[in-house]
Amino acid sequence: MAYSEKVLDHFANPRNVGSLDRGDQRVGTGMVGAPECGDVMKLQIQVNEETGVIEDAKFKTFGCGSAIASSSLATEWVKGKTVDEALEIRNVDIVNELSLPPVKIHCSVLAEDAIKAAIEDYRKKRSH
Amino acid sequence: MDAPDYFQFFGLEARLSIDLPDLENRFYRLSRQLHPDRHAQAAPSERERSLEASAILNDAYRTLRDPVARAEYLLKQQGFEQSKQAPAELLDEVFDLNLALEELRGGDVSVRSRLEAARERFLALLQETDAGLEGLFGAYDRSPAPAALGEIRAALNRRKYISNLVQQVESELNP
Ligand code: FES
Repeated sequence: MAYSEKVLDHFANPRNVGSLDRGDQRVGTGMVGAPECGDVMKLQIQVNEETGVIEDAKFKTFGCGSAIASSSLATEWVKGKTVDEALEIRNVDIVNELSLPPVKIHCSVLAEDAIKAAIEDYRKKRSH
Repeated sequence: MDAPDYFQFFGLEARLSIDLPDLENRFYRLSRQLHPDRHAQAAPSERERSLEASAILNDAYRTLRDPVARAEYLLKQQGFEQSKQAPAELLDEVFDLNLALEELRGGDVSVRSRLEAARERFLALLQETDAGLEGLFGAYDRSPAPAALGEIRAALNRRKYISNLVQQVESELNP
């Protein structure tokens, strides 16, 4: 299967690979997996507590090229957005941006889920 | 020809625990009945039908013989699709394992012992899950209720995940 150029670019030069301190109050961690293929994705956000703006985002994905590209793109997109805005990101946006074929849609779903999970984790931390 | 119900095909009730030697006997009996040699003189349409039936028989046998495949089959029939949710409590394990595998590929041999420990842990988890499944199968067979199938579905998802992990570690440790 041929990957689109954008996928290849994110795959060869993934943005924001790495991790943030899980213990930090400002950091939300989303860990998600796809049972079909066993792939896992960790996406973390660091939020400015005053403004609610996501100031940093990191990911580490063990999975196919599309999953890596989707999560790389997701970190790019969430940065600079408020938490609420980031929740609006839909996997179809990722599919369109990366021209993912139908068989790779679940990889983009993983990225959307990871964003949501990270935000949920952040909010849970704050409510304590 | 639509694929018939595998259980019915063997003249069995839809159950999660089945008697394997009995299944095998039924398989051989049906294979003989459907064997092409017995239909050599038959009309072409009938020969074709027996050929198709043999193919179904083989699929059915392969599916019902294996407890996990059997349960997957029954769940699918009952409308329990594989869940898209990975078992959350395992994800950290999966992630760490992948990290270790990456380090190993990067040439850090000291992670070998970590992988071996991980393998032991996963194998133990697999056994635990299988034991749990056996119990769930029995419970369902005694009183087939949809709620029981939901639990089985979750356990099978978990099992799939763990067995993927075991495979990954194995292939890394013994390439
Ligand atoms: S194939 Fe598993 S995430 Fe893409």
